[in-house]
Amino acid sequence: MSSHREAPEISKDPVADSTDVYAFVSPDTPGRVTLIANYIPLQSPAGGPNFYEFGDDVLYEIHVDNNGDGRADVSFQFRFRTTVRNPETFLYNTGPIQSLDSPNWNRRQSYDVSMSGRTIGAGLACPPCNIGPLSTPDYGALAAQAVHQLGGGITVFAGQRAEGFYVDLGAIFDLGDLRPFEQLHATFGLPALVAAPGVNATNNVNVHSIAIQVPVSALTRSGHPTIGVWTTASRQRVRLWDADQGENVDSGPFRQVSRLGNPLVNEVLIPLGHKDQWNSLPPSDDKRFASYVTQPGLAALLPVLYPGVFPSLAALVKSAKPRADLEAILLTGIPSGVIPGFTNFTGPVLADMLRLNTSVPPTPSAKQSIYGLLGGDAAGFPNGRRVTDDVVAIELRALAGVTYPLIEANFKPDAAAGQLTDGLTPASVHAPYLGHFPYLGVPYSGYDEPS
Amino acid sequence: MPSQDAKRAPEEAGERRLSRRSLLQGAATAGAAGLAATAIGAAGPALAASSPPAPDRSSGRSSGRSSGRSPAGPIMVHVRDTRSGDIEVFAGTSQARLRDKDLAARIARAIG
Repeated sequence: MSSHREAPEISKDPVADSTDVYAFVSPDTPGRVTLIANYIPLQSPAGGPNFYEFGDDVLYEIHVDNNGDGRADVSFQFRFRTTVRNPETFLYNTGPIQSLDSPNWNRRQSYDVSMSGRTIGAGLACPPCNIGPLSTPDYGALAAQAVHQLGGGITVFAGQRAEGFYVDLGAIFDLGDLRPFEQLHATFGLPALVAAPGVNATNNVNVHSIAIQVPVSALTRSGHPTIGVWTTASRQRVRLWDADQGENVDSGPFRQVSRLGNPLVNEVLIPLGHKDQWNSLPPSDDKRFASYVTQPGLAALLPVLYPGVFPSLAALVKSAKPRADLEAILLTGIPSGVIPGFTNFTGPVLADMLRLNTSVPPTPSAKQSIYGLLGGDAAGFPNGRRVTDDVVAIELRALAGVTYPLIEANFKPDAAAGQLTDGLTPASVHAPYLGHFPYLGVPYSGYDEPS
Repeated sequence: MPSQDAKRAPEEAGERRLSRRSLLQGAATAGAAGLAATAIGAAGPALAASSPPAPDRSSGRSSGRSSGRSPAGPIMVHVRDTRSGDIEVFAGTSQARLRDKDLAARIARAIG
């Protein structure tokens, strides 16, 4: 979760594996939208001497649909290039790296960024990975040098960040165990469990982030403030290992191998046999997967895993009524009139996109709810997604029926549905989030983690 | 007396050829063969489709138009089906689709 190693093929290609997408109106610069796409999951910070980097052979993109057809109207494309200053040493760095042009930094990466085919930044420096106090002694300041102003109100950053997504992977993938409620788990006849606090399995690991901040007007159509956002990674069709040169040679047109819009869709809604196909398609093709959203297997599992806890949900599942609430949240946006004063509906096209109504102002941090729209905070998921939103709890609760009364007002969700959580909050993330671009925290250093 | 290198050369050459063949990526079909080459002697193959270096990346599909120029860098060939002569040719960010039974048969014979 939310899309880390979510499909069989892409789990073998971490450099192209998207993990999370965020889209929100920037709280410190409200006229701009921040889009973040994370790649390369679950990085152990000490993973040297060849530390993590983007793929020079991968086309990374962040797409924006502003007319509701599930196709990109604005695309930001990122291509990376790695250079080695001295190939005769095994070292990533030969001394402290205190600036992005430090001669001590031996293997460095830069990138070009284009907006719908027009280059808007070239040769932009990435920061190094956070190695430790001798190699990267003031990492926060060093990484800040890699925040580039491109003109036109566009700011960009690409490089390592602390993982900000929090989830109890170990328990959830142990047959749907939620530690705070595990005393209620069926346990399949095995000894009963005792409720316990959640464990943040993605704590103290890093990811690679591509973050771009763009004026709202550059992404939206006049009078249509809602956008749909997703990221893709593409590879050329042919890869050949050139044993003579000791390197891969790529050829042919790029083809999409990874996609991510809403968190957890491909992870827990799309069946195993379709996940890699889903990754290869645009959102406009998602109609073919709609039944996995409107008849989600996980909703049927909850009453089985937690006997007697979800009788209303069990009855809803048994009725086989399509979950129009989930369809609205994940595939069309929420139409006006459903939630007073709010909509992020983009039209009837069923497309998994992270929909953001850019006319909703950011909620002051003191008033934010990590449960987003479910918590009465219209500036949070599923209206876009902020870095601190508890998307696991939000989607679990929605799947358990909390949002079904939006469709059938007389449906009474189970009491447990509104309390579902894996027991984690943003405080479960050790690296503090930033209050400014690129918002995700300073990555953990290899010297400090694992500790 | 032959050197150690000379003794090993045929085996290494065989390994290289096998490695190139086995590592060619693409959708493999029954009876298909793949071959990577730095040049291909195009003996008049029928050009079924080709794509330029600027694909429609957002949709994951490419349009069909030949650049008409010899590309720099390696050319890679994927014989999808030797019986029908279904061949894909890749260079740079372009691809072409050919249907040429004779060429497919020659390539298949070349890799034994």
